Amino acid sequence: MQPLRKDVVAARAGAEAPSALSIRNLAVRFGARTILNAINLDIREGEFLCIVGSSGSGKTTLLRVLAGLARPAEGAVLFEGTEISGPSRDRAIIFQDYSKALLPWRTVHGNVALSLEARNVPAGERNAVIEKLLAKMGLSQAQEQFPGQLSGGMQQRVQIARCLAQEPKLLLMDEPFGALDAMTRQTLQDEILQLAAERRITTVFITHDLEEAIYLGDRVIVLGQSPATIITSIEIELPRPRSQLTTREDSRFLAYRHRLFEMLAHESPPDQSRGQS
Amino acid sequence: MRRLADPINLAALGFALSLLAAWQLLADAHLISPIFFPSPLRALTVLQQRLADGSLWLPLAATSLRMIVGWLLASVIGIVLGAAIGTSRFARELLDPTLEFIRPLPASAVIPVAILFLGLSNKMSVTVIAFGAIWPVLLASVHGFSSISPELINVSQVLGFGRRDFLRKIAFPSALPDIVAGLRVSLAIALILAVVTEMQSSLPGLGWDIFSAQRVYRSADIYAGLIMLALLGFAANHLIQFLERRVLRWRNLRA
Amino acid sequence: MRRLLLGAIIPVSFLIIWEGSSQAGLLTLESLSRPSDILVAGYAALRDGSLMLATLQTCETALLGLAIAAVAGIGVGAILGLLPTAERIAGPTIEALRPIPAIAFMPLALMVFGFGVRLEASIVAYACIWPILIVTVSAVRAVEGRLLEVAAVLELPLWKRMTKIVLPAAFARINVGLRVAAAISLVVAITVEIVLNPRGLGYRLILAQQSLQVGLMWAQILWLCVLGYVLNLVLSHLGRGPAAIWRPL
Repeated sequence: MQPLRKDVVAARAGAEAPSALSIRNLAVRFGARTILNAINLDIREGEFLCIVGSSGSGKTTLLRVLAGLARPAEGAVLFEGTEISGPSRDRAIIFQDYSKALLPWRTVHGNVALSLEARNVPAGERNAVIEKLLAKMGLSQAQEQFPGQLSGGMQQRVQIARCLAQEPKLLLMDEPFGALDAMTRQTLQDEILQLAAERRITTVFITHDLEEAIYLGDRVIVLGQSPATIITSIEIELPRPRSQLTTREDSRFLAYRHRLFEMLAHESPPDQSRGQS
Repeated sequence: MRRLADPINLAALGFALSLLAAWQLLADAHLISPIFFPSPLRALTVLQQRLADGSLWLPLAATSLRMIVGWLLASVIGIVLGAAIGTSRFARELLDPTLEFIRPLPASAVIPVAILFLGLSNKMSVTVIAFGAIWPVLLASVHGFSSISPELINVSQVLGFGRRDFLRKIAFPSALPDIVAGLRVSLAIALILAVVTEMQSSLPGLGWDIFSAQRVYRSADIYAGLIMLALLGFAANHLIQFLERRVLRWRNLRA
Repeated sequence: MRRLLLGAIIPVSFLIIWEGSSQAGLLTLESLSRPSDILVAGYAALRDGSLMLATLQTCETALLGLAIAAVAGIGVGAILGLLPTAERIAGPTIEALRPIPAIAFMPLALMVFGFGVRLEASIVAYACIWPILIVTVSAVRAVEGRLLEVAAVLELPLWKRMTKIVLPAAFARINVGLRVAAAISLVVAITVEIVLNPRGLGYRLILAQQSLQVGLMWAQILWLCVLGYVLNLVLSHLGRGPAAIWRPL
């Protein structure tokens, strides 16, 4: 645990709007390689932030640092004013590979129950909570089935349900819809928007799909090539609630898309075969 | 195995019966020595007699008990040790070379040592059985515990599970398919070693039964014992399969 | 380097404690002679050739049994693999025989063959035939359909089909079964020698125990560990060699 640095203290003192997450001078290294460098970012409470960047630009690493699963080499991340020193139930993370993140030997009901067990919710109260959550996610019918029996989209819903059962204050999503077909992806995009709005959870969403980022986000930031820094941050001023049909046709949507596309094409070198995100 | 009257099953039965019939014919024609190869009918008669007069039940029970106790001992130690080694890189680096060196030793080679320490006793037998049976379940457990998906480990960390909850709710169930596969092989080895130790130390059991039958050239008794062993092995295997199906129910279900 | 050091901690400290407490008189069990005594006994056995002779005897018998099992197992396995009906007919009989431990047949084999190589080799063969048979059946069945079609088009008789097309293609997997059987062959051979057959390493082992030559007994056990370890090493290297040749097939 690093002692608070002067700039961090200053940032806290001078904060105006409530910052759910404050990233100060973050640098992450793997051995000799610097993955992330000089990351400075403030995320507002309730904000839906999307992060895009070419493959290998450290998006997942950044997310893992926010989750407390990776340690920074330099800098600090403040969550609600306190420095992050490890993983916590308040910061839920949703993985892209849902099959590996669910317990295959437990039913859908059992998987969601895991979070409640972790929160020490008394056994008698669990069922009610789980059933409500499953109904919300459209999983009531599949309650007694095992993840192996479900489609990709359903499995991802289970993961989301389990994360929501943690009652998190921060939702971190690592390309959660990347492995799904287009139709399921769109349905889930709208579902997640609705959930985030209802519960007013701060959300950080990683994707390589520019349109998805613009569609979902209040703000889109672009991460550059390794050693990655934040190249740009674009506020998305599109009306909410978003609509798959109208929002995507909006001229502003297309303008954002144009901008981001150019930015990324500029960034990525011809040879794309770098490590992982 | 759907309908017993299935033509294929009948053909299989016919095949087995024709082998026995050939044996019977050869024995009757004295083409093979009746001392070594009594006719199947004789063997079955003796089997029936000994089942009726109860002289086969005690050896069967003794061998089964020995096998199961040794196997349980090996399983518990194997799983616990496997969990410790599988979840800790340090433990693995410390113990791996030693284990790799001891592993190739045939379990029966431990018999002389066990006899020196424990004499010709049941304790000796169970110890040897456990020593031999531990390897498959240990190796399977190490593999199972060391291949837990990293996402699940992260989920456990984020949810704030302590080590005990992690092992109980995530690590152990995750490793279970591997462990059960190891348990099956272990049980087979336990049976083999039970028979070997009985033969070596004249402890009551099917192994000793067969051994002493040979001494007095009662070959029909040998076959009776072998048949009982086949049944025991068959039952043991099915016990594991039954266990597997119940515990790993979720593996066989598909979308 | 670090791995070597870490891994050596347990055996080295174990040896030191053992030797130390024996010297200090803390450990007086006759069944536990000192590491130094064991080394002396082992060296003596090596020098007078008894250890090497016994090793040779065990290995040649194991190899003989393995060879018999290989020929029979591959032969029958290939046939059963190519003719699925035959496999289903013979299946239950095989399943009935397989669970019987090979060593249970020792008394029978003793009656038929008396003491000696044939006794041991027959038990080894019985033990080794099952893994080879099963692997061969599944390997043959997995041979690519197209290869079999070529064989059919060329109207090759069953025997030629087996040797020219099926077996080479299935070789890599059969190889795995052979390696498993090789390890089994050594273990079974030694077991037969311990219990019954007065010949080879197993026999020397039980002899040492019965004549209370404890140091020699432990030395032989150590030797067995080394032997097994070397065998595993050799087998895993063999596994890479021939398989690599056949992979482009």
